[in-house]
Amino acid sequence: MASEFKDDYEYVPAEKVDIKDLPPLDPETSKIMKQEFGTGSKLTIFYYIFILSIPILNWYAPEFFFSRIWGGMTYSWFFTSIVAMVLAFGIAYIHTYLYEKRLKKYEGENNTDSQERRNVN
Amino acid sequence: MIQTLLEPKYLLTILLMGTIVYITYLTKRNASASDFFVGGRSFGWFTNGSAIGGDYLSAATFLGLAGLTFQLGYDGAYYTFCFSIGLTLLAIFVAGPLRRFGAYTVADFLAYRFHSQRARLTAVVVVLAISGFYAAPQLLGAAQILSMFFGTSYEFGIIFTCTLMVFYVGVGGMKGTTLNQALELWIRLAAFVAMTVIAIYIGLHYNQILANISDFKGTIANTAQYTTDGKDVVADGDSWSGTGNYFPTFWQTISMTIGLSLGTIGLPHLLLRFYTNPSAKAARRSALMAIGIASVFFLFAVYLGAVGRAIFIKGEASSQVMSDLITGGNNMVVPSTAQALGGDWLLGLVIAGAFAAIFSNLSGLFIASSGALAHDVYATVLKKNITQKQRVVAGKVAIVILGVLYGALGLLVKDASIGHLVALAFTVAASTFTPIFILGIWWRGMTEKGAIAGLLIGLGVSMYMIFFKDTLPTFLQFNVPGIITVPIGFLSVYIVSKLDRKVPGDVNEFMKKVHSKESEIA
Repeated sequence: MASEFKDDYEYVPAEKVDIKDLPPLDPETSKIMKQEFGTGSKLTIFYYIFILSIPILNWYAPEFFFSRIWGGMTYSWFFTSIVAMVLAFGIAYIHTYLYEKRLKKYEGENNTDSQERRNVN
Repeated sequence: MIQTLLEPKYLLTILLMGTIVYITYLTKRNASASDFFVGGRSFGWFTNGSAIGGDYLSAATFLGLAGLTFQLGYDGAYYTFCFSIGLTLLAIFVAGPLRRFGAYTVADFLAYRFHSQRARLTAVVVVLAISGFYAAPQLLGAAQILSMFFGTSYEFGIIFTCTLMVFYVGVGGMKGTTLNQALELWIRLAAFVAMTVIAIYIGLHYNQILANISDFKGTIANTAQYTTDGKDVVADGDSWSGTGNYFPTFWQTISMTIGLSLGTIGLPHLLLRFYTNPSAKAARRSALMAIGIASVFFLFAVYLGAVGRAIFIKGEASSQVMSDLITGGNNMVVPSTAQALGGDWLLGLVIAGAFAAIFSNLSGLFIASSGALAHDVYATVLKKNITQKQRVVAGKVAIVILGVLYGALGLLVKDASIGHLVALAFTVAASTFTPIFILGIWWRGMTEKGAIAGLLIGLGVSMYMIFFKDTLPTFLQFNVPGIITVPIGFLSVYIVSKLDRKVPGDVNEFMKKVHSKESEIA
């Protein structure tokens, strides 16, 4: 199986099943996927609204977007060449921060579980 | 002779080459395939983040983006902005799961996701196509830079660069490549930081130079002697500050944005880098670091393009600088601006940085393609059960073959446009691997037939829309046809998978492996 990828792995063919006969994902993986995809999607939608608003404003509101705000710096230049760069890092930072927070929480829960199991034994 | 070698441009370039040779020598021991193809998965987030940045910020970005801003103004800045998006999407959707999967090559992902050698071989074709389209403009740029600064012929430039790459990647493998890429990134960044600090120090403030450029309308002094028609160059600040110089329509702009932003997710040499981290957490941090570096880099590139323009329209720079800015094309903007700002030493640092950019990017392409040939084709399909040592030898032989192939490709594209070839690589990547990786990681319903159909249709449609653009109706003629090809790529995978319905029986285990926190902690 693909999950056990080792340096000297063996290629193992697997049977195919119809998608309707596939058992549901285990609840934990399903929950993780939903959380991860949900966070990623929200950040991506926000990011793309910002990204696409730049050409929309450039082409459909040029008088406003190419007006100067500071010396020769226009809104368009400011958002395209400065804010966009900060936002690219900001979005990735928030994503990594939330992921590491979830991981820490999971590690904490895992440690508590194993501690409880040891106490019972 | 010694006097010539002591010139900053020779001295700093020789120092760079010497460091590359030394690092390559130190990392020459590659005992296993894991060492050779993924550096023993031993790189922490700082080193790998630097190497990802080194891989992504090619010569086209180091020299080209500032040059485009210099020439096209706002549209050059917008082009740079499109490049800045992709790494963030890669970090969000692909980096962590891909590392948890863990493998040697991009094609491994498909082979193990679907238990299919057909999917593996189809992926190999796409990897070689993207890497070839990406390597050709890098070699073209390398030969042009060697010719510009050292007066060598185009053919010499191609042969020299390929020979150096064969040594660099063949001997050092992924370990040597990663360390060299990390070092090379910081050389480039040092050059940009030095230029920016000097420019601000001498009073070239962003808001002020943009105002000077925008307000300028008329002929630029002291330029007539360098133009072919003997007349002074005419500049229009309004046109430079607005859009429409490179993107003729709104939809061309949107298509470019989609193609470049999603293309990054499908670049094999970048995807491969996430296998070299010890964990998914380190892979995500590497991506974050690379995004931080790239963002700073793009910010500087646009600013320095404007600085170059401000120096140019003033018409008071040295005759060498004015001549290079007019006759040297876009690639000469960063070196000429460096010379105007800091003299020969800063120019030397920029030239060393330009070579660093080329070597860094090309080495990533060599290692990704060598994995496709040696690991995916030779060791997995043609000759199974070979030893670790034989796999490493196969990897080295593949690098020599690629050196010859890329060299031939480089000689063929002498008159091609660098931007056109890079756009082609991004479009193919966005229309093939991007749908495969996003759907393959997040959707259980994707099937082997869906994946193969997506790869082949995405590859075919994107190549047709670029190479045979003129045969299409006007409304379908895009410089970067991402707006058409990317949805086709995604829809091909989705529709064929929905019709096929046959998924691998162990797809749930696969999903657990790539998403589970247990595998992260383990």
